[in-house]
Amino acid sequence: MESKEWLHPQAIGSSMDSLGAALKSNIIPNKEYLLQGSIMDSSVEVLLHRLRGLCDNVDTGAETFYDQEMCFSIRGSSSSSSMPQLLYLRVRRALDSTMPQEMPCQLRYTGEPELGTGDKARPTIVRSSVDVAVTPSILEYLTELGARIEFEYVARGYMFRKGRMKITVSKIFKVSREGQGSRPEDLVSQSYLVEMSVLAPSGQDAIGEDMKAFAEQLKPLVHLDKIDYKRLPHTIP
Amino acid sequence: MQREEKQLDLSIEAIITRLNELKNQLHAILLKIENEADTLTWPTVLDNFALISAQFTAISKMLSIDKIPPFRNLTVLPLKLSQDRDEDLTQLTEQRITAFSHDLVPDYLRTKPEPDIEMKIHQFLNKANGIAFETAQKQSSAFNKVLNHVLDTINKLREDWESEAGSRSGTGQTSSIADTHTLVSVISLGKGLKQMVPQGVSTGPAGMMVSSGIRPGATGPNSTSTAPPGPQSNPQAQIGMMSKTPTGIKTNIKPASQLHTYR
Repeated sequence: MESKEWLHPQAIGSSMDSLGAALKSNIIPNKEYLLQGSIMDSSVEVLLHRLRGLCDNVDTGAETFYDQEMCFSIRGSSSSSSMPQLLYLRVRRALDSTMPQEMPCQLRYTGEPELGTGDKARPTIVRSSVDVAVTPSILEYLTELGARIEFEYVARGYMFRKGRMKITVSKIFKVSREGQGSRPEDLVSQSYLVEMSVLAPSGQDAIGEDMKAFAEQLKPLVHLDKIDYKRLPHTIP
Repeated sequence: MQREEKQLDLSIEAIITRLNELKNQLHAILLKIENEADTLTWPTVLDNFALISAQFTAISKMLSIDKIPPFRNLTVLPLKLSQDRDEDLTQLTEQRITAFSHDLVPDYLRTKPEPDIEMKIHQFLNKANGIAFETAQKQSSAFNKVLNHVLDTINKLREDWESEAGSRSGTGQTSSIADTHTLVSVISLGKGLKQMVPQGVSTGPAGMMVSSGIRPGATGPNSTSTAPPGPQSNPQAQIGMMSKTPTGIKTNIKPASQLHTYR
């Protein structure tokens, strides 16, 4: 009994040590490099055709996805009690599987876009990102923790790969209770969202150049750019 | 007669200057290939080729202008052939040709095709003469028909292609910045999605959130047990209303409609 109590903290300590070591040696892909854009419904076929030609999964064609994403906010354990920091966590689950209730979910934390030195010169948005595969009970767990759902949406579209890059072309729907998504009145916009992202360890800024070069190849169809959502005009109905 | 000769001289001079420019360019690229083969890059070579081809176009344009008398009507005749070294010629040709000999003249002043090609031409001519006039005409008309058909197809395809390209550049816009901003703010901030949250399932978690915020010590099960009174209070109010309404028969319709609105 005594030995068990003695062992337990050490096991945690050693795993924390190895995590720290991994962080220090920069092997954890905890940075997301991101470019965003959109394409109108009328031209999406042209873009998909071009992506099919340019990307790696030429033979198998584009992978489709149909996901629901829920954004939770939770108060972080901040030292200053006057301004408890709000943490945003996103849970994503697939809706197109046969048993959506039993499929694993993805839990994701993304930080604010970095405003480090030379950020203006950087070709892409760089933000920290942590992804964890979780069981579907994550929803109850988060609720028990006191997390509060902020908003949710459904994304349906295509995913392409090009080396380390992931390119998604997706339609965003509001979540309606009956027959989730895919109703025309639930559409958020008359365009498809186009995102190009890479997960990489920090300090690998060269990948940004690769992404920019690939984004150039999609012009003038899509203009992928770094979009700071904080500076967007607030004119959305 | 004199005027024509003068014009000829002038045009020959102009052509010669052009040819000299072309020669210099060829010279330059040859030098480059010989001396800088290691550092030479494709773009520079291609640039040089572009210059040369531009010169060629300029010369052919000059030749097609009406002012210049047709050179093809003139013949160049070798007046003197000799095996001896000709200093003037050597200088003129930058030591490329040292003597205007029998060996070179047929190459430089050729007026007839090479013998084997000439033979082939003869063969074809013989064959053509052997065919009867009517069959020849039939064949040529059939050939023309096919050619016209192909030409029509190509022209039609070109028209389609051009109109398609034109319409594509005409419609132009395939993406809109406003839509990008809308989509990005929707997925990052939930713009336009938040209004529907309070009436949905998420009211439960929201209520829990408040209770756990006020009493940090509250555990999960506790907060769920405190949540039910919220929804329960609503039916009670409805029952209260219902118990009030039977007092007056006249007002019976009114509360019923009120009830409906709350559902």
